[in-house]
Amino acid sequence: MTVASDGGVPSGPAAGSSSGLVKRFGRALPALPGLAVLLFLFLVPMAIMFVFSFWRTNNDFVVVPEWNLGNYARFFVEGTYLRTFIKTLIMAGLVTVAALAIGLPFAYFLVRYTGKLTQRVILLAVIVPFWTSYLVRVYAWQAILGEHGALNQILQAIGVIKVPLDIFNYDDPGVFVVLTYIYFPFALLALYASLEKFDFTQLNAAQDLGARPDQAFRHILLPQIRAGIITACIFVFIPILGEFLTPTLVGGAQSSLIANLVLNFLRNDQFAEGAALAIIIAAFVTAIMIVFRKSFRVEDVVTSG
Amino acid sequence: MVTNQPWPGRPADSDLAEPVPAIELRHATKRYGEAVALDDVSMVIQPGEFFCLLGPSGCGKTTTLNLIGGFIPLTSGDLLIEGHTVNDLPPHKRNVNTVFQSYALFPHMTVAENVAFGLRMEKLSKADIAQRTREYLELVGLSGLAGRLPAQMSGGQQQRVALARALAKRPAVLLLDEPLGALDLKLRKQMQTELARIHRQVGTTFVFVTHDQEEALSMATQIAIMSNGTVLQQGSPREVYDRPANRFVADFVGDTNFLAGTVRRDGGQAVFDVGSAVVDVQGDAEAGPATLMIRPEFLALRQGDATDGPRGLTARVVNVAFLGNHTRITVSTAAGEMVVVRPHGTRDSTADTQRELGEEVCVWWRTENAALIRE
Ligand SMILES: Nc1ncnc2c1ncn2[C@@H]1O[C@H](COP(=O)(O)OP(=O)(O)OP(=O)(O)O)[C@@H](O)[C@H]1O
Ligand SMILES: [Mg+2]
Repeated sequence: MTVASDGGVPSGPAAGSSSGLVKRFGRALPALPGLAVLLFLFLVPMAIMFVFSFWRTNNDFVVVPEWNLGNYARFFVEGTYLRTFIKTLIMAGLVTVAALAIGLPFAYFLVRYTGKLTQRVILLAVIVPFWTSYLVRVYAWQAILGEHGALNQILQAIGVIKVPLDIFNYDDPGVFVVLTYIYFPFALLALYASLEKFDFTQLNAAQDLGARPDQAFRHILLPQIRAGIITACIFVFIPILGEFLTPTLVGGAQSSLIANLVLNFLRNDQFAEGAALAIIIAAFVTAIMIVFRKSFRVEDVVTSG
Repeated sequence: MVTNQPWPGRPADSDLAEPVPAIELRHATKRYGEAVALDDVSMVIQPGEFFCLLGPSGCGKTTTLNLIGGFIPLTSGDLLIEGHTVNDLPPHKRNVNTVFQSYALFPHMTVAENVAFGLRMEKLSKADIAQRTREYLELVGLSGLAGRLPAQMSGGQQQRVALARALAKRPAVLLLDEPLGALDLKLRKQMQTELARIHRQVGTTFVFVTHDQEEALSMATQIAIMSNGTVLQQGSPREVYDRPANRFVADFVGDTNFLAGTVRRDGGQAVFDVGSAVVDVQGDAEAGPATLMIRPEFLALRQGDATDGPRGLTARVVNVAFLGNHTRITVSTAAGEMVVVRPHGTRDSTADTQRELGEEVCVWWRTENAALIRE
């Protein structure tokens, strides 16, 4: 047996340095498409956006390299942006709470009281809507919530109301309902995955040891599905920070979320301003992820260790 | 045992001179839809007992424990714990604790936190909790591992944690559902000894579920043999082994030879017809069809032509298995095969162990060692 002279690839038998390089390159080959996508479609645009956000859009709607912080200052100075951002956070928060409030009891019921087959059928039913486009689903909600939509027609037919309701139409409650509908499945799947691993005799054991049912839930179940709850929160809360279609289609002009404002900038060719706003959102999301990530690690240690 | 919980329900109208039973089932029935898991069971478990529920899979052992623990409601009948009817009392208010078959340890808590959990729920002071946790971890021999997580422990150690966690509550009754089922044979034996020691040490009533008859015989002070949701017999290990109430019990507890035949009165004597052969049975037996039951260790062999001793059956040796401390000889008689167990190391058995295959012998027993069962 001969020994590789450079020792660069310990597992490689009798490899010269050039063929060793080839080998290493060969190993990295499968990762290249991914790296290319990450580099050219994510990192480079991010970098361009980052730079743009410190430049200025001139009167001819051209981004010119004049370094300034005005695009960021605008966010804090002009009330609309901060107000819309806070409203977006509230909307995302409410939808997250709603998705958890509906998803947790549902997942619990599913895992604890139904058979594997029923579980699979129901989960499939939850996923099926994703086979149709997002746009179609949101339009369908227009047909339900709109002025002449199914909801109003039914309510009028049974005589509950005389004039069509418009609170679900072109307003925030409608956006809330549709967003909850769209993001609930993500929450459910995340919660289901973590509940499925839970051994429910632990709840019996807790009660056996003197815990009331609510104490058993709080001290035993909750800590063990915290990872699932956090995942559910991330799946719901963060995408809503980037939601612009539902507010556009279901809500009205006054129902804009923060992503709509970014879109407005881009439509008006104010790329610098739009970039700054997008960076602010991205920074915020990153901050949230870091916070969540921390709790994640604690949970991982606890549940797997 | 002191509980600060006021017991709802009426106290039992039992005789005050007698000790109050730790557990009493009165016509307890549990149905799952049409299926009957527990069928009109009445049973008394005295305080301090090591009580074994023994029976084959699906006979209702776990159901019985779950009823006592309060995890499932009775369909009808009554359940009394220490003389109080507790039919509708939720589990967290019952003065009994359970060691679950799967242990059901809390994986996100350390060993010490697991043991302390029940005490925390009782709202004991921090110092008391720490002190008691230490005491019970010591009892089960886990003092050094208090800071570990359950996943970092072996099956046997987890078992001990579950035991300490339940015992730390100082319950009136400790329920154990096949606690040794998941352990390998060696560990199992070791834990049996350990459990017996702990039972003696704490003096709590143990209700222990197993389908292993050897385990039940070796550990229990009382055994209830269950089948199809009913209790067939309850008694000390000796009683159920020596005087099984029926064929099922005889068959389930230990090995047994059964001879089907008829009891006949022959003058003042009762005799038993087995095919063409006749053997003696105890004098007071009534005439009629019956089954004669003899444990293998009560059977002896002698030369086929020998006529000393009680009447026996002519047999042929069909198998001889040497098993270390005893020999197991299978013989074929006109009434079917019989199993004879001869221990080693006793003077009279030496000759018996030398049997040859195909040898013609006479298998016999003392009449007082055979039991008649009627179905
Ligand atoms: N939740 C339930 N629904 C319907 N039937 C049940 C339920 N739980 C138990 N049974 C039935 O009740 C009977 C007694 O069950 P149980 O669990 O008490 O048996 P077991 O003696 O503990 O058996 P094993 O030794 O296998 O644990 C079985 O026939 C079982 O199928
Ligand atoms: Mg069972």
